[in-house]
Amino acid sequence: MSVSKMAYYPGCPSEGTAMDQDMSTKAVFEKLGVELVEMDDWNCCGAAEVEDPRLVYALNARNLAIAEKEGLDIVTPCSICYYNLERSNQALKADEDLRTKVKGIDNSLGYNGKIRAKHVLDVFMNDVGQDELKSKMSKKLNIKVAPYYGCYLGRPRETAFDDPDDPVLMDRLIELAGGEVVPFSQTKTLCCGGPLMMTRSDIAFAMSRKILDAARSAGADCIALACPLCGMMLDGKQADIEKALNVTLGMPVVYITQLLGLALGIDAKKLGLNKNAVDTKELLGKVV
Amino acid sequence: MGIAVIGGGVAGITAALDLADSGYKVHLIEKNAELGGKMAELAECQMGLSPYIARVNNHPNIELMLSSELESLSGSAGNFKLKVSDKGVDVESVVLAPGYDVYDEIAKSYGFGSPDVVPSLDFEGMLKGASGELVRPSDGKPVKRIGFIKCVGSRCVENKICSTACCAYTAKEIWELKERYPDIDVYVFYMDVRVFGRDEELVADLKDKYGVHYIRSRTPEVIPEKGVLAVKYENLEKGLLDTLELDMVVLAVGLLPAKTLGTLAEVTGVKTDEYGYIETSITNPLETNVPGVFACGAATAPMKVRESVGMANGAALKAAILSERTEPIPGQEDRKYIETGEEPKIGVFICGCEGEVGQTVDIAAVAERVKVLKSVELVNSDTNTMQDTIAAVERGIVDGGVNRIVFAGCSPREYEDIVRDACASAGLNPYLLEFVNIREQCAWAHDKATDVAYGMLRMAVERAKYLEDIQVERYPVIPKALVIGGGVSGMTAALGIADAGYEVYLVEKSAELGGGLGKFPELPNGEQASEPLKELVDKVTSNERITVYTNAKEEDVRGRAGSFKAHITGDGVDEEIGFGACVIATGAREYVPEGYLDYGKDNKVTTLSEFRKAGEYNAGTIAFVQDMVQTEGVINSKSTSVELISSALKVKEQNQDSNVFVLYQDIKTYGKWEAIYKDAREKGVIFLRYDSKKVPEFSSGILSVFDVILNDDVQIKPDQVVLSTPMMPAEENERLSSMFKLPLRNGFFMEAQERPKMVLTPVDTVNEGVFICGSAVYPAMIDECIAMSTAAASRACVLLAKNFLETPAVTAVVDEQICSGCGVCVDMCPVEALELSEEPVPVVTFGVATVTSGTKKVAKVGDGCIGCGCCASYCPSGAMSLKNFKDKQVYAQLDYV
Amino acid sequence: MIKTWELDPSFKYEIMKEPGGEHITSCYQCSTCTIGCPITELVPDYNPRKIIQMSLLGMRNEVLTSPDLWICLICQTCTARCPQDVRISDLLGAIRRIAEKEAEAGKLKIDSSRPLFDKAFQHQLEKHGRLYDMGLAMEYYPKKEGSFISGMKAMMKDYKDFGMRMFKKGKMGPKAMLPVKVKDRTVIKKIFEEMGEK
Repeated sequence: MSVSKMAYYPGCPSEGTAMDQDMSTKAVFEKLGVELVEMDDWNCCGAAEVEDPRLVYALNARNLAIAEKEGLDIVTPCSICYYNLERSNQALKADEDLRTKVKGIDNSLGYNGKIRAKHVLDVFMNDVGQDELKSKMSKKLNIKVAPYYGCYLGRPRETAFDDPDDPVLMDRLIELAGGEVVPFSQTKTLCCGGPLMMTRSDIAFAMSRKILDAARSAGADCIALACPLCGMMLDGKQADIEKALNVTLGMPVVYITQLLGLALGIDAKKLGLNKNAVDTKELLGKVV
Repeated sequence: MGIAVIGGGVAGITAALDLADSGYKVHLIEKNAELGGKMAELAECQMGLSPYIARVNNHPNIELMLSSELESLSGSAGNFKLKVSDKGVDVESVVLAPGYDVYDEIAKSYGFGSPDVVPSLDFEGMLKGASGELVRPSDGKPVKRIGFIKCVGSRCVENKICSTACCAYTAKEIWELKERYPDIDVYVFYMDVRVFGRDEELVADLKDKYGVHYIRSRTPEVIPEKGVLAVKYENLEKGLLDTLELDMVVLAVGLLPAKTLGTLAEVTGVKTDEYGYIETSITNPLETNVPGVFACGAATAPMKVRESVGMANGAALKAAILSERTEPIPGQEDRKYIETGEEPKIGVFICGCEGEVGQTVDIAAVAERVKVLKSVELVNSDTNTMQDTIAAVERGIVDGGVNRIVFAGCSPREYEDIVRDACASAGLNPYLLEFVNIREQCAWAHDKATDVAYGMLRMAVERAKYLEDIQVERYPVIPKALVIGGGVSGMTAALGIADAGYEVYLVEKSAELGGGLGKFPELPNGEQASEPLKELVDKVTSNERITVYTNAKEEDVRGRAGSFKAHITGDGVDEEIGFGACVIATGAREYVPEGYLDYGKDNKVTTLSEFRKAGEYNAGTIAFVQDMVQTEGVINSKSTSVELISSALKVKEQNQDSNVFVLYQDIKTYGKWEAIYKDAREKGVIFLRYDSKKVPEFSSGILSVFDVILNDDVQIKPDQVVLSTPMMPAEENERLSSMFKLPLRNGFFMEAQERPKMVLTPVDTVNEGVFICGSAVYPAMIDECIAMSTAAASRACVLLAKNFLETPAVTAVVDEQICSGCGVCVDMCPVEALELSEEPVPVVTFGVATVTSGTKKVAKVGDGCIGCGCCASYCPSGAMSLKNFKDKQVYAQLDYV
Repeated sequence: MIKTWELDPSFKYEIMKEPGGEHITSCYQCSTCTIGCPITELVPDYNPRKIIQMSLLGMRNEVLTSPDLWICLICQTCTARCPQDVRISDLLGAIRRIAEKEAEAGKLKIDSSRPLFDKAFQHQLEKHGRLYDMGLAMEYYPKKEGSFISGMKAMMKDYKDFGMRMFKKGKMGPKAMLPVKVKDRTVIKKIFEEMGEK
């Protein structure tokens, strides 16, 4: 294991719609013996709504500088936060003028390019490592899982840490925990439609439905994912999708941190598994 | 000392053979345990290349260093010290031919991983190996629909340049596929079809005659689902996405510099370019930054086999010029043949062909049966490789006393010459050999082939009984060359030959040297054309071995390879010359597109060369039009896109506010030239693609084009319209063609090897001793012209290095007694080697010739006979026959069919 | 029929000056982006490749008023696959920003509510330093619907079920009704002032 302490960037939904992800992330890292230090006074990464790269870089320069002061790499459970943090990191590292310009706005934005930002999945599989994970797992998941990666983990290429077309890290993690990965390779990297939720919900719903349908027909017990926006679409809005499109889906959706937590023997409540919108009780019965 | 050739692929082999055949010591260094490189991975290529590999293996002047790597290089040109896998090797010059590697990070989105999605190289093997139906690897079901996706791992972020070869090899694979399986539907997903010359005709045939669908879409996705491969593409006409369900998909995967090239560059100090290829320049395409170290083939840029081989020929000559000839040339030694006598003593040698024959033939059983045949003295059936079997033949002749050889094994196409040569060096007349192909024609064709093999050997033994010595005449080689054409290609060839130590006659039809390059102000890389041209002219005119004839013409060419004669007239000259080899470098000329888009009527419209000569790049709105629809004898040059786009780019660079449009059908910026296409786009040149069905029109100052990508009409009001000019063959090609008996295609000279087959002799012609190069073959970029003309010089020098050549042995003979002088044979002869002559007729009295009364006409066989046998088969009186194919020899064989 | 002399050939340079739009001219119109686009699957006329070619030709008005600009998911599939590194996700973002500026200046009308949403999001961020869902909805819906009342109605329609669902799971308690604020909000404000769209 090449990591013992990281700066934790929870992301805006961590206290609201994705508090289950936040809870499970903290619990898992605790169990793994990696200390998470929540970044002091972090700000929003800009999400998908701030499109101007200059603004994204400046917003995240502040976040990066906070972690850099602690001398810690950042870990976040959110795909979009990861993308914004790490692309800002790369842009700032590569461009001294940009660093100077950003620092000119305020000294607290002074970032020297000494750290990096990582996604939890990357940290689990590449820093903690499969052997270490395996050794700490005490439960077997007799669950058929559709691993859903969405965007930003395998693309774009500069920040990707998995294959763009057929990512595998989540698959490996599920298999490590004794779970069965259902055939899902044509769906695992599709977009959930989240960015259009508020403005073209028809498209957003159609996209999410595609993913839920595919998991169903692949015979999955649940979908595993790694992003709060995907979580909101596939889990939080699943009932709305069912209603709007007049379908029955009933597909439990869990964060990969929740699944890993179960394998590590952490109590389901501590992982927030009672907070997922689609009931997860049936899954818990399959953890032995 | 000698020359080190690094790399045992097709380029390395070619260079090694040219050098060894001219009497240089060659150290051929190959990192793998076998020769052949990438080409050997392809079944068909292997067939084309294997005779060359066999020659390398048997060549006394080549020291083969397999499983060896170059570890260090010190010293300088003329005196290099190499360390090769711990062994010291001293050489005067080095040829680098490390080849290429295939792009291997194929995106998973291509469905790569499904057994039905295969890279082209694998598909080529599959196609060769398929007997009967072509089936899907996944489930063995017959393939009905197949797709080819081009530019996988090329022209992209990971591999920026165009891999050049893929378009042509894809076309070749499809042609083979459609020839064998006409009912399979073929779809090609492409961006630009970058083929040239005959490959261009091949693609046109594929579209028109074979019904192959070319779809302009770079599809990124192949989805294996429910037993089919779903390929999404954009249907530009409908403006919508479509999906094709295919059984198989072939990926035309791009090329990269060989993985070993980095280390090799470090060891040798040779510079590599930004793409990792060995750096050479447009005017010195064979030279690296290290004097005495030359480069060739796909290590310098991605390219096809034809160009690789040409560069290898050229690099060999460059290396030879720095070295001393130390070795005898095989076949040039004095040879005395044993007296064979009347009684045939036949030795039968069966080669197992590394198990290929033994699979279906019980070799031992055949040997037993052959042993008892009359006149068979010796049967050898224990050897399994060509080399071992040849050694057995030599022992059979020297120790076993046999005087006729029956050799059974693989194809005589590949090995007959080698075995004949072995017989000759062991002291047996080489025509006392009968070669039987029991591999392709027997073992591969039949399941139980033992009886067939015996039958074939039986026939061969019967024929062998009647084989006769054929006396081979030797004649001296004239160590001089004639080069026709004083352009860049001709001058380069002349200098190459002169530098190798031979005299050259350079004949230029106009008043000055320079040719086509003289018309261009600058090269596509921005270099001034006048400088390298002037340098070349100075070198040629000051070279004492080169005699330049201007305003000159060559006529009345006679003779054969090694000993030609011709008549030269020109500025103050009217003389008869003799030469051993000839290089034709007549170049090409621009087509005048009279009337096309109002050219000639509207002074806004100019040709590209006129535009470049005028040198004014400041138009407000300018439209470049590429790919004029071709008419007979007019072809777009290989450099058209490059020249046109570099001009468009220049306009944009000089005036950022100008509106520059390029109207095109295919952008053919092959290889590293892809970079200027990208540069032009990035600088703001707008590219509009049209289709041959709806070509651009220009009227009332408005240029209209139907952009097939936007699926809409686009109109431009240009201040200037610039047309790319297609090329026409040189006017004298027709005359040279009939004088040298060389075939033309579209007015350009043809290589000896016909495409779509692999071209391994790009500058050789059907007429031995006559070589072609430059734009006389296909209008090309200056670097390619220089490489190919150096190649032609190299091939000429291989010939000129010999002291003497042999007349063809298998020629026609006339029985003058029987000949009635009817003249049928004279009319039939394709090479005009026969003539009728008046001969005195002896009158026979009582069996003794006593009186001569009158004359009769009889046929005479002249020097030019090529042994085709036409005369023999048409002779009504049976007076004509062909040596080695006499009636009794053939009938003896036929009796045992 | 496209008459090039009626177009704005400098549009491509305008896009290139906008961050994210720098690589537009690298495009060689290969269709990779469109073929892989998940939106094109659902909305067949949606064609990022065509938007690029129209932009290159200078069809400024057609491009900037196209509703297609606003249905991009920024999912990065096109960006990841683009063989010429055009960075189409970022590029469309750049074009969208030009359109927004033009719309704000009253020069054109955008046929989508997405710029309103993005702006509302940014306002929350500017104010609090973090996302405040309630504040976002309260700004967005009235703007989208044209009045406060109809905005609230639309919000209720969208959020009635979802809100209750989240509330039941304890994800949308009274705490979520209030914004979580970054302490150092003056910095955030400065960032927007310096780097934000003006």
